[in-house]
Amino acid sequence: MKELTQRQMFDYLFNNGIENFIGVPDSTMKYFIEQGFKKNKILITTREEEAIGIAVGMTLSQSSSLVFMQNAGFANSLSTITSLVQLYKIPVIFLIGWRGFLKNDAPEHTKIGKIQPKLLHALSLQSKILNEKNWRISCDWALTLLKEKKSCALILKRDFID
Amino acid sequence: MIRKEAISIIVEKMSNQPIISANGLISRDLFDTCDRNSNFYMIGSMGLASSIGLGVALKKTKKKIFVFDGDGNILMNLGSLITIGMTKPKNLVHVIFDNSSHESTGGQPTATNKIRLSKIAKSANYKVFQVKTKNQLVKIFQKIKFIPGPIMVIVKIEKGEVISKRINIEPSKIKNRFMGSLKK
Repeated sequence: MKELTQRQMFDYLFNNGIENFIGVPDSTMKYFIEQGFKKNKILITTREEEAIGIAVGMTLSQSSSLVFMQNAGFANSLSTITSLVQLYKIPVIFLIGWRGFLKNDAPEHTKIGKIQPKLLHALSLQSKILNEKNWRISCDWALTLLKEKKSCALILKRDFID
Repeated sequence: MIRKEAISIIVEKMSNQPIISANGLISRDLFDTCDRNSNFYMIGSMGLASSIGLGVALKKTKKKIFVFDGDGNILMNLGSLITIGMTKPKNLVHVIFDNSSHESTGGQPTATNKIRLSKIAKSANYKVFQVKTKNQLVKIFQKIKFIPGPIMVIVKIEKGEVISKRINIEPSKIKNRFMGSLKK
């Protein structure tokens, strides 16, 4: 996703009620995070599970949260999603990078990139894949689910190799 | 002192402050000793009680937030100390019931008799207190009322033979009543 779009997406979510952006950085969403830092709204944690725990605490305090992570971190988070977020029905938006989407991405991303859609499906975690055209509608969809007390994931493809 | 006695001493002196309790026997002891709407029993997500507590503490700055953690739990999520030390919530009291063992899973040893958790916490900007006796525990909880956090109280406990009953409240109900108590 382009730099400008990433920045617009951060502003859009922030202006529509998401107060906390917590997670572990991903180069796929570098500008999204950078935009959040400008507004002093980013909290970087040591691990993804920790980020989810903090987001849950903030949501329990009536403050809406988004958790961002790489898909490697999504794999780290499975137990926390099932035994905290889903068990207690605590609504959180996940923003997950999708490395291994391109076939020639670095080898450590290949396997997780391949099984990511299946993992989301197995978790029954509703998700939408973002692009330049649908990001606003997808954010609206996520914000509506959050109001209905449901969690969901927005997926950001890594469509470049550096 | 066993964990259940320590929990009982602490909650007896508390009013309605929120407690986030770690999975396993800690939550069961708290439930059995003093069930209240402001207890969040974290029955899954091993290791994350302090992270949930941090999230609440950062948002509910006028309330003092208590985390009831175990040595096994905090060792699983030491990164939490880093994030707490970075954000420095003045209203967070992190209690570690330390028996140097994973008592909930059969008493396997943890490393807290070989490493100094207190030192790690101090380097992470905590004010750290350690207690071994009931008297010390009572005194420390008087003292920390007037000290800004983040505070860690390491309570050395013995392994107990008492197994408290399971929590029989639905997780979504635990959540709803906890959220209700935070609004007050």
